[in-house]
Amino acid sequence: MIKGFAEAVYKKYDGTAYDLMNEALEKALNMAGIQRSDIQGFITTFLPGIFDGNIFLHFFPDQLCGYLGINPKYIDSLDYGGPSVLAGLYRAEKLIKYEGLDNILLLFGGKGSLVRQTRETVDSYENLYDGVTNTPYKQLLSGYSYKNPLSDYALVAQRHKKIYGTADEDRARLMVKQRKNGNDSGYSMFTGDISVDDVLSSPVISSPLHLLEIVYPVDGFHAFIVSKSPGKLRPVKIKKYGEAHWSKLPPELEEIMITPASESSRNFRDEIKHCDAYELYDSFSITVILQLEDTGIIKKGEFGKFIEKTDISSSGDMPLNTGGGSINRGQPAYMSGSVLLYESLLQLNGMAKNQVRDINSVFINGIGGWSRNHSVSMILGD
Amino acid sequence: MNEMEIYSIYKDYFANSMLPYIKCKNCDYSFYYPRNRCPQCGSDKIEIKKSSGTGEIYSYTVFNNSIWAIVSFPEGFRLYMNIDSAGEPDVGKKIKIKFIDGRPYGSC
Repeated sequence: MIKGFAEAVYKKYDGTAYDLMNEALEKALNMAGIQRSDIQGFITTFLPGIFDGNIFLHFFPDQLCGYLGINPKYIDSLDYGGPSVLAGLYRAEKLIKYEGLDNILLLFGGKGSLVRQTRETVDSYENLYDGVTNTPYKQLLSGYSYKNPLSDYALVAQRHKKIYGTADEDRARLMVKQRKNGNDSGYSMFTGDISVDDVLSSPVISSPLHLLEIVYPVDGFHAFIVSKSPGKLRPVKIKKYGEAHWSKLPPELEEIMITPASESSRNFRDEIKHCDAYELYDSFSITVILQLEDTGIIKKGEFGKFIEKTDISSSGDMPLNTGGGSINRGQPAYMSGSVLLYESLLQLNGMAKNQVRDINSVFINGIGGWSRNHSVSMILGD
Repeated sequence: MNEMEIYSIYKDYFANSMLPYIKCKNCDYSFYYPRNRCPQCGSDKIEIKKSSGTGEIYSYTVFNNSIWAIVSFPEGFRLYMNIDSAGEPDVGKKIKIKFIDGRPYGSC
């Protein structure tokens, strides 16, 4: 169960990633009512470039424990990109149940602004350094003009447009509705009403994706404390869980429009349909569409109809990305998993400004890593 | 064949304006990105073959005035490449391979 959760998110933070991480931890400890010495487990992730611009830190999780002044009995780092924190929550519950540990700290984030300033993306960061390779196939990939993950999702969106007729307007409509949720949430970084025309007249960054359907990497950390008891909070736990890892380059996938979410959600499709809210990874507009399809919520090719008729606000027929998603919150350190989990916990604990009424379960899906190789699907509830 | 040998043969193919790929003799799987064993069945009975060099656009994106694409080849493999903007790109459109600085590009 989650005893404390907190975020420290800034568009551009002037201090170090270490300061920022301590801010999130301190807030979460306060909510949980525990001390640093009570932390028995620690799970994090490292993404090159996001820790004060470091491409590498020797024994990363250990360095963080030393800096924070915690002495866990269990230390781990998960390397699944965006959904890492969700996989961390699952592992934390197992450590509590089977290893008898208590107070597992999930600490995820970094400074996206530092990579942003280099005009590289998180996956093309290797171009700045000699002797750094992100993939065994670098010899055959470098020198071309790609900027993953942006180009990668643009390829998917383009093919989706051609094969399923998903129009630019359909994706834009999702962005308009998510912005409305962001406005209502009271903690969105990007606010103000936008129209379908605003999205479509924003610059095309990598066709067919426009600026307003692409997440903005920001500086921030989230801290979640997973414990035997929920403390002052609702006893929220994972009700259903699946993860899938498809370690393939997109050209070697049978079909780039199908993601590992189709596998991670496979065992509880019916339950997914009956959740009270949905928080789906939104690195790009198309990412949300892929997960709606792959988790069985809609059929491929039906997104246009779906988004036109569905009210995704917290009082609507299908509350979706109720906090506005990371498209509006900002994406701390290029990974949105924590944004989804944080909003889910606000909603389940009745702490949201735009509260979903009578909410007992939230479906969360995270997707990420190199291209779209990892997916975590879960239903949170009590 | 080890990985370095594969890259060296690929380089020779490129220098002669030919597009190589790898075919597994055990399971028939075709792939482009070099491994010394078949990623499908694990066999080391692999051979490097010459592709026809005529493929079709699987998907593409226009970014920074260049076109980035995944291209499918009839021999059963796909790869990433830039394609030139002489013609209007589209999913399903035929492309021909050309070589610039020892690197394959598509032309549509």
